[in-house]
This record gives sequence, C-alpha cells and structure tokens, in this order.
Amino acid sequence: MSDSTETLSIEITVNGKVYQRDVEPRLLLVEFIRENVGLTGTHVGCDTSYCGACTIILNGEAIKSCTYLAVQADGGEVITVEGLEKEGQLHPLQQAFSECHGLQCGYCTPGMLMSSLALLAENPDPSVKDIRKRLAGNVCRCTGYQNIIKSVQSAAKQLQEG
Amino acid sequence: MEMKFDGEFEVDLPREKVFVILSDPEKFAPLIPTFHSLEMKDERTAMLRVKVGIGKIRGTASTELTLTEAEAPYRAVYIGKGKVMQGVYESISSFELEESGQGTLVKWQAETNLVGKILSLAGGGMRGYAEKEISKLISSLQNGLSSNPQTVTAKPKADGWLARILRKSDSGETETAETPVSESKIAEGLAGFNDEQLDRRKEAQGKIDNVLSTARAEKRLPRKEDNRLIRGQGLFVDDFHPAGMLHMVLVRSPYAHAKILNIDVSAAEALPGVVCTLTGAEVKAQTNPFTQLGPEPSALIQDYCLAIDKALYQGDPVVAVVAESVQIATDAAQLVDVEYETLPVVVDCKESMQADVMLHEQVGSNYTWQGEFEFGEVDKAFEDAKHVVKIDHLKFHRYGSTALEPNAVVATWNQMGELDYFSNTIMAVPIAMIGPALSVSSDKIRLRTHDIGGAFGNKIGNYPHMTLAALASKKAGGAPVKWLETRSEHMQAGGHGSERNFFDTEVALDADGVITAIRSTHVDDCGAYPRYEPLACVIWAQVMPATYKLRNMKIDMRQVVTNKGPCAPNRGYSRLPHLWFMERCIDICGHELGIPADEIRLRNYIQEFPYTTPNGCVYDSGDLPMMLKKAKALVGWDEWKKKQEEARKEGRYIGIGIGTTLDSGTNNFGQSQIINPFLPFTGQSQASTAKLDLDGTVSIAVGSFPQGQGHETTSAQVAAEVLGIDTDFINVKTGFDTARNSHTGTGGTYASQFAVTGLSAVHGAAVKLRDEMKKLAAFSLEANEDDLEFGVGEMGPEVRVKGSPDKNINFWALSNLANYNTASVPEELRDLHLNVRHVYVAPFQTVDKEKKYGNLTLTYAMQLHIAVIELNRETAQTKILDYGIIDDCGTVINHMIVEGQSHGGAGHGIAASLLETMPHDKDGNVICGSFTDYAPITINNMPDLKYENMESPSPFSYNGAKGMGEGGGAPLLSISAAMQDALYGDGIIIQNSHHSPMFLYEVLKNYEGNPVSLESR
Repeated sequence: MSDSTETLSIEITVNGKVYQRDVEPRLLLVEFIRENVGLTGTHVGCDTSYCGACTIILNGEAIKSCTYLAVQADGGEVITVEGLEKEGQLHPLQQAFSECHGLQCGYCTPGMLMSSLALLAENPDPSVKDIRKRLAGNVCRCTGYQNIIKSVQSAAKQLQEG
Repeated sequence: MEMKFDGEFEVDLPREKVFVILSDPEKFAPLIPTFHSLEMKDERTAMLRVKVGIGKIRGTASTELTLTEAEAPYRAVYIGKGKVMQGVYESISSFELEESGQGTLVKWQAETNLVGKILSLAGGGMRGYAEKEISKLISSLQNGLSSNPQTVTAKPKADGWLARILRKSDSGETETAETPVSESKIAEGLAGFNDEQLDRRKEAQGKIDNVLSTARAEKRLPRKEDNRLIRGQGLFVDDFHPAGMLHMVLVRSPYAHAKILNIDVSAAEALPGVVCTLTGAEVKAQTNPFTQLGPEPSALIQDYCLAIDKALYQGDPVVAVVAESVQIATDAAQLVDVEYETLPVVVDCKESMQADVMLHEQVGSNYTWQGEFEFGEVDKAFEDAKHVVKIDHLKFHRYGSTALEPNAVVATWNQMGELDYFSNTIMAVPIAMIGPALSVSSDKIRLRTHDIGGAFGNKIGNYPHMTLAALASKKAGGAPVKWLETRSEHMQAGGHGSERNFFDTEVALDADGVITAIRSTHVDDCGAYPRYEPLACVIWAQVMPATYKLRNMKIDMRQVVTNKGPCAPNRGYSRLPHLWFMERCIDICGHELGIPADEIRLRNYIQEFPYTTPNGCVYDSGDLPMMLKKAKALVGWDEWKKKQEEARKEGRYIGIGIGTTLDSGTNNFGQSQIINPFLPFTGQSQASTAKLDLDGTVSIAVGSFPQGQGHETTSAQVAAEVLGIDTDFINVKTGFDTARNSHTGTGGTYASQFAVTGLSAVHGAAVKLRDEMKKLAAFSLEANEDDLEFGVGEMGPEVRVKGSPDKNINFWALSNLANYNTASVPEELRDLHLNVRHVYVAPFQTVDKEKKYGNLTLTYAMQLHIAVIELNRETAQTKILDYGIIDDCGTVINHMIVEGQSHGGAGHGIAASLLETMPHDKDGNVICGSFTDYAPITINNMPDLKYENMESPSPFSYNGAKGMGEGGGAPLLSISAAMQDALYGDGIIIQNSHHSPMFLYEVLKNYEGNPVSLESR
C-alpha cells in the first residue's frame, strides 16, 4: 500500500490544454483524465488492457490508459474522444460510426474511435485485414463488429476525399 | 431584450463602390446570409424573406428593411423590422466608411430589440445566437464587398465578441487554453525523452494531427443517441459524480463454501479517509432477506446483500468498506481480516441433486424448483413410434454476455428516508426486491438510469449491490455512495448465464423422420442463490416445441444451487438453451436416420401460422421453409456441400449446420405463477408519456431502460409519424426515471419487447396528444376537427385547415393555450393539457397454473442461421468459412437497428460457441478471472456475416412488429450443428454447446462411450 500523502507534480496536455496536477504515483492515466481533468468520455471496461474502452492517443500513439500511470505520461500530449470535434463539427470518424451504425450502447465507442484514428494516421487506406488487426484490442459487445469495419472504411474514404 | 454589437472590417474595394452597394437595399439585402427572396416596396424599402431558425425551430420570416440615412460616400443606416417566431424585432444597423489605402475600412454598429415569445424559446442562447448570425452577416458582407474574397482581412476590435469568434476559428484553440507545453519542458518530463524518442513522437503526433485536422461536413446522424455517444458525452454510472460522493469497495470470499468465523474491520476503519464498514451482522439486523420467487421450500432461502454466516461462492461479498475515494476504500478493504473455515464444495448439478453438500440447509435439498411439463400423449407416441433415438446427456454451458460497462450504482438514502438510485439496472422489478429488503415504500425509491453500456439481460441481477449501497449511504449519513464492479468481480459474481443439463432424452419419430414426441430431464444450475430464478424453469416453455410440429412432450424440469456465482438472465435467457437442445435432437435424429439436416427440418417445421403449441403458446406468423431456402441461397449451400465432400477426401473437416431460433417477445408474467402460484404477477404492460413542450416540440418518455437498442430513435419515428412532423421535433428522454411516471411495474428492457410494448405505448400516447391538439386547434381556428391536418409550415410544426394553409396554428401556440393562456380556453376544453400518458396492456389471459398451459409470449420473431466451419482435428481450432443470417421480426421499424441487433446477437452466439465459457474447478474457483482468460470475441475472430431480412407481420401488434434482439444467439445452434456435421462420420456426438479449442481438444482426444442409440421398429 502506498502512502496516500505522497504526490508528484506532473503536467500533461489534454486536447491542447495543459493540466498541472499533484498526483499519487499510483494514479492511472485514465483516472487522471476522468477524475482530475474531468473528461469522462474515456471509459474503463476490463481494468487489464484487453477491451480498449480506455484507448487514448498519447504522444501520437494509441495506448490503453487503464494500465498506464499518469506519472508515465508527464510532459506528454494526450488526445481523447473529446478532442475529435473541431469548432462544432464532428470528425469524419465520428460521423462515419454514426452513419454506418458502428455503435449501439456507445461504451466502447470512444476507444474504438481513438484506435481507428491511430490506424488511419498510419494507414490512410486500410484493408479489412488491416482494420481487424489494428482494432483487435478493442472489444465491442453490441455490434458484432460488422458495422465497425464499415465505419472505418467509410471514414477512410471521407478522409481521402477530404 | 436589447442587444448591441459593433466592429470593423477592411475590404479592398474603394469607398465609393462600397457605398454604392451598402446604400442600395436591392444590392445590400442579398448579402445577408439568410436571404431568401426580396420585393422592393419603394426605392428605399425592401420586403425580405429570410430563413430563420434556432435549434429545431426553422422557418422563413418577413422583414421590412428601410434605408433611413445615406450620406455618400461616408455613411448608410438601415432599420429592419419584422415578425419572427411569435415575436417582433427591430434592428438599426449603421455603416461608417473610411478610406484605408486602396480599400475601405467599414465600421459598423447594430442594435437589435426583441420582444415576444422568441425569447422564451431561445432562452439564454439568444445572445449567442445573435452573435453567430451577425458574425455570419459580417463575413458575408466582407466577401460581397471585396473584389477578390481571398484578399479579405478581418480586423475585429480587440476585445469584441467577433474577435473572440474569429480567434477561435483561426487557431483552433479554446478561449481558456493555456500556453502549450514547451519542448524543453517535455524533455524534462519525468519519463524523460531522448532525441530519437522526441523525433518519433513528433512524427507520430504529426500523423495524428493530419488526420485530426481534416475537413468536416455537417450531416444529420441517423440515431438520436449517437449525437452524445460519438462525442464521449454519454452519462454512464461512473460518469455521475454528485457532490460529497463516497465510494464502496467489497471484500469478497476467496472460498466457494466457507463458514465465516470472525471479521475484524478495526484496521480498515482506522485508515484515514474511511467513513464506515458494513458486515453481515449489521445487514442481518437492518434488512430483511430478499423476496424469493420460488415456492416453499426454496422460499426458505435467506438471501441478503452480504454473506451472513457462510460464504456460498467465490466472490460472495462479506464486508463493504466505504471511503472518500475508491483508492482509500481499496486500501482499507485489504486491511479487513476475515477468518474462514472452508466447507466441502459442490459445483456439479448431478452432485448437487444428491445433496451431500447442502448450501441452504433450511430448504432440505439443493433444489430451487422441480416440476413436470407434460402435454399430449407422450407414452402413446413412444409406443407408436417407428424410431426412438436416445441421447444420454447434453449440456448448455455457462457463459455471460459481459457487458462492457460493469454493474454499477450510486445510491443516496437521505435522512428523510428518500432513496435515490442512479444505476444501470434494466428493469423496474428490482424496486420490488429492494423496497421490502430495506423496509422502504416503493414510492420513496427513485430509480433512474441514463446511458447503459450494454446489459443483455444480465444487469437485472444487480439488485443486491444496490441494496448494499443504500445501506452504506444511510450509515454514511446520507451521502451518495458509488459502487462500481471491477471486471474480475464481474467474472466471479456479476451474474453468469445459467447452465443447463439435459439428461436421458428420448425422441420418438415416425417412418418419415417426423418427431412425434420428446421426453427428457432438464436441470438448471443457477449458482448459489436463485436471484431471478427459478423463472428459467418456465421461461423455456415459451418455445417448448421450438419450430417443430410435435404435439407430445414431457420435460422433467429442475433447478439446483451450486457453489458458483449466482446466475442472471442472459440474452436468450432460458429459451436459447432449450432451442439448442431441440436443434441437437433434430440433428442427431437426422444423422441417425440418414436424413440430411435441411430435409429433416423441412419435414418437421411448423408450416401454418398462427400456431398454437401443445402448451398453449401462439406462434404468430412466419415462413420457415422460405427462411431455409433464403439462407441456403445466401451461403451457397449446394456449393459448400460439394466443397465439403472434396475437403473430406483431403482429410479436412468441413461442417455445415443450420440453427433455427424463436425470439419469443413480450412475456406474459402469468407464467411466473406456473413456478409459484402465489406470485402476484400476470400479463405485461408498458407506459409512455407525450407532452407538447412550450417551444412546440414534443417530449416523449418511455418505461424502458435502453442500452444501445436505439429506443430514442424508434420512439421518435413512431411519434413523428402520428403527428405528421419530422423526428427532429421529437425529444425522447434518455434512460429511465421513476419520477417521470412513464413506466408500469413491469417496465424494463428485457424479453424482446420494445418494438411491441414500448412502441405501442408511444403510439398510444402520441395519438392521445394528437387528438387533444386537434380539439384545441379546432377551437382556435374555428374549424372542424375533421378538416384539420398536421404538418410543418413556415413557423415550424403546425395544425392547419386542409386546403387553407394560411389558417393555421403552430405547435407552440397550442402549447401556450394549454399552459399560459388558459383563460382563453373555453371551460369544456380545459381538460386538454397536451401532457398525456398511455399504458399499453398486452392482450394476455391468465395462465392455467395446474396444467401449465397458456400463451406465455405475444410475438415470435424467427432467425435462421447457417454456419460453415472447418475444424482442425490436430489443434481443435475452428474456423468459420461462411455465415448466413435470415432474420424475420415482422414489420421492421428501423432496418439499420434490426440488422445491428442481429449482428450483435450473432456475435454473442459465435463468442459463446467458440471462445467464451465460465468454468469452475472442483473447489469452486472461477477459472476466468479476467477478460484475458475469458477472451471475449474481438474484431479479429469475428467472421463476416451475410444478412437478409424477411417480414412476416405479427397479427398481434398494432404495427406488425415483433420484439427482437435475443434470437441472434442462433450461432450456438448452427455451429454445434456444423460441428456435429463435421464429426458425425467419425462417430463423435456433439454434447456440449461450447467448442473452444481447449475444450474440444479434450473431447476429440478422450472421446469414449456411445451417448446416442437408435431403436427402429
């Protein structure tokens, strides 16, 4: 058990805004985002980085924030689902997930969107196999994944035509 | 309300040219972004039509625009007047022109005064709205007054509203954004970055920035729910943070069966930040055992929200710790010292029936229920049978749909005795369990949900934790207490789907391979406590003969407790195991008699609908042979048969299997009386409210607990159709709330019913509202009700006289009559409040409890799945080569949603069949403590699904729809069938519903015995 009074000062940029906080070393990055920053779009589903509901972008790469300490992200730049929308306009991925019915309950969706964002950043024209491979760490219990594949394909198309 | 705005901008046209445009209403007006059309009244006055709208209120408005001052080339002033949305406005705009190099600096001022209802409609948003509109106007003017729009440079006043908006859109920063972190600061970070890492990070960040900064188009979203969910703006239980909230963490038994000898919470309570603890002794003193649904003697089971003297399963909660943070509560939970004495464990239903180990001694056995369902002349059918097939044991395995959002609740039980739940349970019934346990009147319990991260039936089992959280809140002085299950807690104790064993099955068939009778013993294992049980002992009877026409059945149905986690309903609850059993019977019989799987089904399928089953259920509609034909075409049945034959010659095992399911929807609670005649439940009802809001939109509330099924979307579709307006004008309240009074006792989301019960209630409420609106409109317009129609006019939704569009009253004016302007309404119309409630009561009769006979469900959606698999005999791995789904849920309200439900259900079925199981070892340890062990299906092992829809409208619902969503579990049937098809030639009978490689490997390696026999006469 850690001494709960021991804290470290960290500074993390979340969606372009800097947050300096004193945190316990054991604080998870997802807890930092949800509780210290107050952005609750990033969810926790399994506590063990299997389900990917907590996926965020840290320094340009998709990571699972439920098994990442906030102090590890000190000095880093985080993008969460809340950072996708710009000036009241949805990101093509958000639009595509809705249009293709790539979500039902919406609990996995933020993580799916962030993993998809990382996929499309690396690979603007992914094959179905690429999508399956890259999203294999994101569990959805509602959709049976068919429409998630369609959503990512549709967003890729929109982004390329952009 | 008066608003003033000012600013300046620069354009490249010379001042004289700018003045010419600005001083001519005919040239100036078209520069207004909302410009629609224009007619000149005189040379200084233009009559304009402009498009207006705030939120959902859209229309066009008339404006009179007059040039009142023109001083060439320095100054132009306009006065605009108009009526808009039940209000009037007057606006003075002046433009001062100064030379600025080659171009012109335009300094402008606008003063707008608004009077009337528009203000109440738009509320505080009016100023922001006006700012936006003016910002658009100025941009438009800048472009219009420029020789080349690219050269325009905006120069807003430093601190003006326009400056803020422009700054925002230029930089993409938010107003409050602080200075971004510097690179050197990053380099100093705790983790520390070297140059190479920094380069890599920059590159990755650059790629993300590229994808983030793409152009976006605004389009309408197909589901109302999506608007918040794709933004991460859903409100799930863990997102709810009332002030002063505390956290509860549970200490759970590590043993599956153990006496609790001593509990020491002193160290835990001494930890700073710990508020209180709760133990079984306090729970026993302060609460009553939960109501048992089963009859005596199983009614003697004492189930509390904490273990009292004994822990009965691994994960049984023993102590609750309440603290200021979840971290402190978790630390404190580790300081709780519990002394146990382990007891012998029973995890197998056969051993449980022997009762050498007893869980609830006062009951005298481990049975929660036993009873016989016998219909037709079973013994005679066996005497007359040409063939009898015997199957000694089949087993439907234990798994759970493991919704991604764990069970969770925030309970607040204040000093006034009011109990408030913000929860993700999915049914109103838990109130009926919690109230008596806590001795609280159900009227004092408020139950709400908002967004729910999946439930699949499972979250019905959450009420003990809800009860415990309430007690914790009370002990903590009425503070809100949050309890959030961890995933490993869920895997141990969050509600497993029940497992069912089928013993000593005998199937009688005639010479053509038509099944004439089945007799069998079925035993459910419901875990340590029967929480929603023993209802599973009757719910399967909704689909007793499955899709087959046999008239004689005798099922000895039993349920036992074991030292495993308590079961909770799971997608396809109780029906899916039974349908799996029936499909196993038909396939095994087909193989034994040499009749192909498609052919034996065609000989046995029910062909005429409505069809009354031997136990009195009425199958409403369908066409099973057509479904089979379509499914075969979808996957290319004949080609696969050929490929299968060729593959077998190469030593490869391809199997093709059919699974036919029934999704019985809208349950008749009367069936609970077959289990316990003293239960006071019969029938089924759902409520909805509809209210015309002050802004002319319609609010709908329903009594369901949506978890992704799109109830907001389909409710809006139904109401919009009744009221002749667009779904954008319908607001459907999110989630459930007892305070809305839009539910009945059976309110909930379960038993595949929303399309029937929920939408019937919404329809009824919308019709009532429409009728009231018509009456008021008839009075207001001095017209006959029959001459009125609903539609969307210039000012939004309205009621108008057919053929006279000018004679209309819009929705908000009607709402005004009922809410603010009541003295204008004649007395005989004062009962019209435009705020109605409708309860849909399903047309059920009570059931015959003695004979176990009656209509147990209202509609029967049907699914036919075909799976083509290849089994690797070396590794026991299964690959799905092809998968076809035909879905028939009657008239479809929303195809996108229905297809999505079919995909999702199929996902669960495939997962349960090939990957997911919740096994326990002989000591009752859960062997799937996390998702890593349980391996929920991912996108990588989910095959492509081929899907087609058929529509056989139900004669029993107003809209022809049938509830759906649970029948998609058919892959459990089709994959077992395909597996059997692949292995039958090797003499292997598929006896279990689970086919993961580890499990199947043992079956293939150690297969022995002959579980099936055929007697032919």
